[in-house]
Amino acid sequence: MSDELLVVRCQLGERDAFAELVRRWHPAVERYVGRMLGRTDDDVVQEIWLAVFKGLPKLRRQDRFTPWLFAIARRAVMNRLRDAYARPDAEPIDDVAGDDEADAVVNREALAGALAALPAREREVLLLFYLEDLPLDACAQICAVPVGTVKSRLNRARRLLRQELVRKGYEA
Amino acid sequence: MTPEEVLARLDAPLSLRKRVGYLALGFAGLTGSALIGLLWATEPGLPPRTQVAFAVLVAIGLGWAAFGGWAVTRRAPLFARDRVVAGWFGVGAWLAFTVGGFVISLLRHRLEPALLGVVVVLGVLAAVNLRAARRARATLLRRRAELAG
Repeated sequence: MSDELLVVRCQLGERDAFAELVRRWHPAVERYVGRMLGRTDDDVVQEIWLAVFKGLPKLRRQDRFTPWLFAIARRAVMNRLRDAYARPDAEPIDDVAGDDEADAVVNREALAGALAALPAREREVLLLFYLEDLPLDACAQICAVPVGTVKSRLNRARRLLRQELVRKGYEA
Repeated sequence: MTPEEVLARLDAPLSLRKRVGYLALGFAGLTGSALIGLLWATEPGLPPRTQVAFAVLVAIGLGWAAFGGWAVTRRAPLFARDRVVAGWFGVGAWLAFTVGGFVISLLRHRLEPALLGVVVVLGVLAAVNLRAARRARATLLRRRAELAG
């Protein structure tokens, strides 16, 4: 069943459809929040789903559900980041701890650590474009910037990520 | 957090019974305060204590109506099916107000033209609202059929 059909069924008031929508998109939402904040945050995830539920009746373009969902997620994450930056003693981001784990796990952890070290704007375009496989126009809609800005942020994000990984001792 | 945990936390706003309850509460409050207001306006020579009692009752009714309105816009939004239910509730509230208003008016052996005007305006509003809700739902049902096709 397509996302568009699920959204239409949700808008009609079918509770089963909403449960299906949550099951389908929850992992992506949780992953996005986790990567953007550098940790899991159930409150933000919950806040996002509540906003989705409240906003669904007013969603006009059912075929644009994905960018709409990530725009909501982005707003919730940015609010949380703003709160975190406002606090005087923000916790530093830890370096990757990896000793005798399997290489794949180490690499994934290293990547997650490097991502966490990027500025929020660059991190989010990398996550949306590469990890969530969203097209450029959807990324632009989510971030509320022109497509050209997304491209330049992607360029800068790739460069920063490369520098960060090299700094951590990985080959560029 | 699992999807089931998310859904469990959203249980209250997702409940259809709650949304219908908020609607019923809102419309009951609105109709009640409108009828009491009508009684108050058409009853000559009321003592101050009775006037205060009427004012309190009207305020209580409006309070419930405001709460119902807030709940269905902020706490538990209305989906297409709920909007149709809300439309019928609106028609029901209009009918109750019309019957009540005419009974009150006829008991005094005169039909106020102003009351007639209010009844007509409210009736048109209720009908337009119900029609819009039914059309919106029909559009979504058609889209669902096309997509499921």
